[in-house]
Amino acid sequence: MITVALAKGALLKESVKSFAKAGLDFSAVLDPDNRQLMIPSDCGRARALLVRNGDVPVYVAYGQAQLGVVGYDVLREHQMPVAHLVDLAFGGCRMSVAVKSSSGYQRAADLPPHSRVASKFTQCAREFFDDLDLPVELVHLTGSVELGPITGIAEAIVDLVATGRTLRENGLVEIEELFHSTARLVGHPLSLRLDRGHLQTIVEAMRHQNKKNNL
Amino acid sequence: MALQPAAGAKDLNPQQVETNQFISSLLAETYRLWGYEEVAPPRVERLDTLMACGAISSNDIVKLVASEPLGLRPEMTASIARAACTRLSEKPRPLRLWATGTVFQSRESVEGGLCIEETLQSGVEIFGIKNISAEMELMSLLLKCMQKLSLSKYQNPTLLIGHTLLMDLILSPYENSLRDEIRQSLINYNSLELKQLNLEKDQKERLVLIHQLRGEPKAILEKLEGIFGNQEVIYNLRRLFSIIAPIAEKQGLTIQLDPTFQPQLELYTGIVFQLLCRNDASPVVVARGGRYDHLVRQCGAKEEEAAGLGFSFSIEKLRELFNSANPKLDKPIRTLVVFGEKSSLEKALRRQNELHDLGHQATVELTQCNGRKDATELLALRNCNKLEWLN
Repeated sequence: MITVALAKGALLKESVKSFAKAGLDFSAVLDPDNRQLMIPSDCGRARALLVRNGDVPVYVAYGQAQLGVVGYDVLREHQMPVAHLVDLAFGGCRMSVAVKSSSGYQRAADLPPHSRVASKFTQCAREFFDDLDLPVELVHLTGSVELGPITGIAEAIVDLVATGRTLRENGLVEIEELFHSTARLVGHPLSLRLDRGHLQTIVEAMRHQNKKNNL
Repeated sequence: MALQPAAGAKDLNPQQVETNQFISSLLAETYRLWGYEEVAPPRVERLDTLMACGAISSNDIVKLVASEPLGLRPEMTASIARAACTRLSEKPRPLRLWATGTVFQSRESVEGGLCIEETLQSGVEIFGIKNISAEMELMSLLLKCMQKLSLSKYQNPTLLIGHTLLMDLILSPYENSLRDEIRQSLINYNSLELKQLNLEKDQKERLVLIHQLRGEPKAILEKLEGIFGNQEVIYNLRRLFSIIAPIAEKQGLTIQLDPTFQPQLELYTGIVFQLLCRNDASPVVVARGGRYDHLVRQCGAKEEEAAGLGFSFSIEKLRELFNSANPKLDKPIRTLVVFGEKSSLEKALRRQNELHDLGHQATVELTQCNGRKDATELLALRNCNKLEWLN
């Protein structure tokens, strides 16, 4: 049986839609009354595991799920050994550095050395500032990161930005983009190598839906 | 809290130890039949031996506090190769050795602390043969071991085989960092990264095509020949498969040739393989191995003898598969000697001695029992299956 790890939250609806087009119907997970975390597909060939964003690459890396859908930001942050298969082109956002509008900083390199940077994505932030050769002190926060510069806990933040509205309403401004993120189909490398065509059919169907991004 | 084992370490119960020994002895028996000699490499090694030729990354080794850099062995190949090239260098080649024992790996736990993983391995190494004949013997031995373990019946085993020379052929048009990027994308099965590389369309299509090549060896070798022409590595692999494919078929074991399959380690310089069993969920690697001529050269072997290859079984993984399939191991007769009020402990001990002289397992119940019925009830508690009632 094929097991698919789906991330709860913003990507769930589109993920279900993508799998439906590829022949696996997990629409039961979208039922607001559903409390089950493991849901069989309509056809009975597969089952979906409903997990948190950051847990998708973990289930896939350990091979308990052969496929999964998760944002590129999570993949960059967790660096798990999973195969990146298809750019699904939904859930678009960018990982950016933001500072207080009044700070006067124009780009990340303007930040003084050893500034404090708050982020939920400390691995991505560390890589970015190391590439800039700029030493910073990272403060790990798990949410409402925008409060960092407002309260003075940090001079800058590294966070996901979709429309930029939250930043603006909290008096912050984006000064540099680390990378653009969209949802990705990932897979367990060894299961894919041993696959007798069942997984590949689904991967190809999902690739076909997003031809533009997967040339 | 009561005293606990160190993070990552496991206390095995008697049944687990018994299964481990059963599996180890089956494997040892097979190695001996093939003329392999047992060696016992040290558990503690110098770090430069353990890390020779990229056999393992420094982070994975459990390091010891000592005046020189030492670590606990994370696998046994490096130690056996060192012994083969020094203490055993005068022995004629091919040198066939086997070893079994615990290995230690360090990993970071979720809480950030270090865990030491102690596991049991059993494997063979063959030194001094540079040509395909060593692979032919080694893979035949691997298949024989699988047959002895009788895993084929219920665990869908697959032997996944790659070759570093096939990977070299694939990567031959590319250089430097681009070559590394392509190699990483192929090894990690990152088809998306492969498609996003800065390459001409036809080159990209060729790589995507090669990346999808895997399956029945004969068909894959034909396709590879179509792409790369007549190559020595293809000829050698054809010879190898002509020997092992019929044996595997008879055993119900699938052989899959996968040109882009390579472990991350840089140790290997020829054939690489993993033996996988598929239980309900993910594939489990029960054995792995390959050719590591550079390592043997670095250990100081003469150029004409700088060759080595081997495999090792993970006994723990095999035990888990045994347990999940629940095969009945032959249980020996264990006698419980119990005495009643008309007999005595002294008589029971004498009877136990007689049974031992006959080669039977026998345990004495040290306290007097009220009757045969009570004594029979004790059998399960004492893990015995036969009663010797003295009264």
